[in-house]
Amino acid sequence: MSETAHTATPQDPQRLHEEMQEVWGNPRGLKALTIVNHTTLGLRFMVTGMVFFLIGGILAMLVRTQLAFPDQEFMSPEIYNQVFTMHGTVMMFLFAIPMLEGLAIYMIPKMIGARDLVCPRLTSLGYWCYLFGGIILVSSLFLEMAPDSGWFMYTPLSSGEFAPGPGSDFWLLGITFIEISALSAGVELVVSILRTRTRGMSLDKMPLFAWYILAMALMIVVGFPPLILASIMLELERAVGMPFFEVAAGGDPILWQHLFWLFGHPEVYIIFLPAAGIVSTLIPVFAGRPIVGYRWVVVAIIVTGFISFGLWVHHMFTVGIPQLAQAFFSAASMLVAVPTAIQVFVWLATLWLGRPVMKLPMLWILGFLIIFVCGGLTGVMLALVPFNWQVHDTHFVVAHMHYVLVGGMLFPLMAGLYYWLPLFSGRMPSERLGRWGFWLTFLGFNATFLIMHWTGLLGMPRRIYTYETVMGWEIFNLLSSIGGFVMSAGIAMVLLDIALHFRFGRPAPRNPWNADTLEWANTLPPSPYNLVSLPTVHSRHPMWDDPDLPRSTAAGEHGLPGAPFGRRELWGSDPLTGKLREVIHIPTSSWWPFLAAAALAVVCVCLLVRMYPLAGIATLTAVGLLLRWSWENGAHPRAAPDARVAPGEPPLHSRTMDGPGLWAMSIALLANGSFFLSYLFGWFYLWTVSPEWRMPDTSPLSLPMMLMAGVALSAGAVWLEKLVNGLRRQDDRGLASGMLAITLLGGAQVALLVWVIWQADLAATETAHDAVLLLGLIYVLLHGALGATLTLLQALRVGYGYVSAEVPFEPAVVARLWRYNLVVYWIVLFAVVVMPMWLGGGA
Amino acid sequence: MAWLWWGMLAFSTVVLVVITALWLYAFRGGRRVDRSSRDEQRIARRWIIGGGLLLPGLSIVVLLAFGVPAGQRMLPLPLPDGQQAERIEVIGHQWWWEVRYPEAEGGEVVTSNQLVMPVGEPVDFHVTGEDVIHAFWIPRLGGKIDMIPGRTNVIRLEADFAGVFGAQCAEFCGAQHTNMQLHVEAMPRDDFEAWLAERQAPPEQSDDHAAARETFVEHCASCHRVAGVSDGQLGPDLSDIGDRVSLGAGRLAMEEGAISYWLRHHQQLKPGNRMPSHDHLDAETLDALGAWLETLSP
Amino acid sequence: MMRLALTHPLHLVIGLTLWSLWFVAIYGGLSVACAVAPPAPAQGALTAINGVLGLLTAATTALLAWLAWACLQAARDELGRPRFVAAVSAGLYLFSAVSTLFVGIPVIGVPPCL
Repeated sequence: MSETAHTATPQDPQRLHEEMQEVWGNPRGLKALTIVNHTTLGLRFMVTGMVFFLIGGILAMLVRTQLAFPDQEFMSPEIYNQVFTMHGTVMMFLFAIPMLEGLAIYMIPKMIGARDLVCPRLTSLGYWCYLFGGIILVSSLFLEMAPDSGWFMYTPLSSGEFAPGPGSDFWLLGITFIEISALSAGVELVVSILRTRTRGMSLDKMPLFAWYILAMALMIVVGFPPLILASIMLELERAVGMPFFEVAAGGDPILWQHLFWLFGHPEVYIIFLPAAGIVSTLIPVFAGRPIVGYRWVVVAIIVTGFISFGLWVHHMFTVGIPQLAQAFFSAASMLVAVPTAIQVFVWLATLWLGRPVMKLPMLWILGFLIIFVCGGLTGVMLALVPFNWQVHDTHFVVAHMHYVLVGGMLFPLMAGLYYWLPLFSGRMPSERLGRWGFWLTFLGFNATFLIMHWTGLLGMPRRIYTYETVMGWEIFNLLSSIGGFVMSAGIAMVLLDIALHFRFGRPAPRNPWNADTLEWANTLPPSPYNLVSLPTVHSRHPMWDDPDLPRSTAAGEHGLPGAPFGRRELWGSDPLTGKLREVIHIPTSSWWPFLAAAALAVVCVCLLVRMYPLAGIATLTAVGLLLRWSWENGAHPRAAPDARVAPGEPPLHSRTMDGPGLWAMSIALLANGSFFLSYLFGWFYLWTVSPEWRMPDTSPLSLPMMLMAGVALSAGAVWLEKLVNGLRRQDDRGLASGMLAITLLGGAQVALLVWVIWQADLAATETAHDAVLLLGLIYVLLHGALGATLTLLQALRVGYGYVSAEVPFEPAVVARLWRYNLVVYWIVLFAVVVMPMWLGGGA
Repeated sequence: MAWLWWGMLAFSTVVLVVITALWLYAFRGGRRVDRSSRDEQRIARRWIIGGGLLLPGLSIVVLLAFGVPAGQRMLPLPLPDGQQAERIEVIGHQWWWEVRYPEAEGGEVVTSNQLVMPVGEPVDFHVTGEDVIHAFWIPRLGGKIDMIPGRTNVIRLEADFAGVFGAQCAEFCGAQHTNMQLHVEAMPRDDFEAWLAERQAPPEQSDDHAAARETFVEHCASCHRVAGVSDGQLGPDLSDIGDRVSLGAGRLAMEEGAISYWLRHHQQLKPGNRMPSHDHLDAETLDALGAWLETLSP
Repeated sequence: MMRLALTHPLHLVIGLTLWSLWFVAIYGGLSVACAVAPPAPAQGALTAINGVLGLLTAATTALLAWLAWACLQAARDELGRPRFVAAVSAGLYLFSAVSTLFVGIPVIGVPPCL
């Protein structure tokens, strides 16, 4: 790695490629487990997702076989319940979300002109968590211990009393594990889209797909934590007996439903938005003109992202919520039709004004349109409360949600896969076999589910394992089953087509569809580093402005060419204007993510078999591995010990105060905040609504002790802010000793909290009140401990010289966590100690 | 409610067909005239505002204007002229229905897996769940409502004509969710009163079945109630079982010998149900038990 | 208080955030009010609860509509990226205002706690 001068003159592309390959290339053999590159990991996500899709599909076919004829005994009721529960779970959690995340992980850096995602090792952790979690969850099927309470796991049916086997534990632990993966991908997609777009790609020049993924990722960040909280609570109830959802002890099973659907409804849009992003990407390309109403689409995306959080109760219209509250949710549910309609008509107008060509991807888009509009219309009907009361929990709802999910996700996904195939394989898809696959899937799908609307209107409830001849449902069920098998044949044909194309496909020319977005500047198939040099963007259509980009980027004629310092580098830019701010150096292949995920998998399995001491050891191991992973940062020899950059380039991010890590911390804290707000919701919900809620007249917690702990935390947080302000002025005097002192303050807070908990003598297995209280205290306790540990590590890192006035970045990141801890602690103190004293226990 | 559904269906079909047709037309439009960008903008805006804002906007306003008042009917609002709605309590169990008439003249009446209601007047159903969440739903009469442990939900339904309706638990409630059906019968007020009155007194007991009764007291009484004989609360009340149309919440039609068949095979007929199998009792005992239970009819 | 320029990207999320806060306030307020002091069903929709919810709805709608108008004016004076941000914000504020009104309308005719 010589430090040669890099100018914008053309260089030997082959030499540049070799230079890049040396820095960015992926290891082989066993070391392939250490790969962190987004291209490889995106592909792994998608292939794994496809495998789970096939498993989910087989489960669906088992269901259709059972229901094909009346009075069948193909499966016992117990097995049938496991099969339909796992079908829903696998399709939602193991296929839809990871598949789309995989596509985003693969495509986003290429589309915004970056070389990788901004936290590559996090991508890797996410993948392994997904894989291990998925394997654990699916293994329950083969052990005949699968969860059997339906994919939304309503308690008390899923509680220890009514589901004593380990099925529910598999679901709760496996899904939580997989959600770590979803969250980590969500966080880094947000930061990557906001901070690593290439020069000139301001917010209004971003490809629409990036807008969609930005919204999806933010929705994951905010939407998944409620379910994580609910899962933790239900698992605690099952394992330890903390009665969060038990009426007799003051809990409430409806709380589970609120938390589940608080996640569950946004989830539908988390799945739909990226798929709509695919449609918005393909339609302009095949219409041969820019999309009309770019601004309208952006409005629609943002509206969908928000409104979808205000609809969750429409899954609960029958639980006995006041009519007026139902009217709010009913109206909000209907509102979602507006942004969706805007998009449908934007697409229509684009086609109308363009010169569309009907290639195979467009066929899938057309199929999407018909199915999705139909699903949307039945969705509006379902938002109407009296109609909902009639068809809720019948096969009408089953039909509706398959129209929305298959139409709104699978069809655009297929369109996208066919469209981007050259970017995976460097080859073009076939037209013939692919069309057969499409028509079989399309017709089979409609045969299955269009008829099912009618079966539902005839009164067939969902989730029944058989029915009698007298009901008059048999012909419709038989037709649905036949349709299901036709659809399977179609899917099989599509997969066969894609598999064959890797061998027989025609090699793709550069930019084969004449697309406008930057991912087509890559070589086909792409390299691990995407682009040798990073272009500057002047409009929303870089490839139409400059069709020569594939050549000129490879020749190093643009910014940041090659890898002269042996680092993996990409540009950090301003989130609004796209002006350059820093050069981001990202970490390389590593064992830490794999090992950490493996340790977490051990935790998961230990909890499943109830070996709690071992689970504790594994948890500590995982934490240790994660902290050890964080050690390779800043001026660490494995990170960026020297700060050289090529002339004209901005400084390295670790030498600034506002690098992407700070953004990642903020987005992670947004997720954490959503978790905390869900907790507060649970507290106030149980307090006001739970039928048998009991609250002691005086709080069992010692207020003076709590106040002292709060003062220690506040003092630490203020001190840390002062140190960070000093670093901002290039002043690192007293940094190490300050960090040590802050650690001690954090330690004092933790010690006081432990004392408070110990002294309160909470009956957490007797009353829901004490259980919720304990959960909140443990939450702030763990955060305090994490804050103290990180400042201790900072003190050490100052000693090693990894952190200093020249490398001032990390304390700012840690300070953000302390700020969060501070706010959360005082809110907890106010909500669970002061407010009950104030308002009295009754309420 | 039917007009609402047919109206929505017709409207939705039109929307779907028109949108699809427009898309197909856009595809097959062939070579187009070159338009100025100003024209293009105007056309695009027209589509987006017309189709994207006005169409869904107006549709949902209309829908809500019709829909919200339609829901009011099922609310337990006070009746206009001081009239009292009949109160019937329904409690969901894994996997059977307990039905109580607390306001019956002459004392509470309890039955299970069958529900009799007066026709032509509003009835308030107070529903709850004993173990897990179930849902109460008589499709022909209207909406459903969840039966949640620890809470009581009220739904007001009215049968416009006398007759028999099917009902089925509508919230997945475990292994035998499928076989949790309820036989609903609406009848004129006088017949309804008579039906209740018949059940005020315990069923008559003849000495022919003394042995079967003893078997019952020994093996069944801790779970099942038979008025005047036992007071078990875990399983369905059997005081009028001879008068019911089915066994096992709709699993087996009631006919002569059905009960003793059920007693022998209920774990095959309804796998996982909470009643233990009776393999330790011989066939004659079970037959006698069945024969006695069949006489329990008001 | 420092004024946030109307071309600032934060305006892209403020409108719907206000909508969400309002939504939480009316749903949460309704639930708490019905748990603490439910009015007699005979009162129908003419209750204090409906009144407060209605006022809150009207105030939120007015605020959002005003912000929409302000952003629209700002968009007129700008070009390029600032114009883009202000125009999209204006659209989002307008949508939020209409949504508030639409979701809040039922307080006129529906009794609160049944």
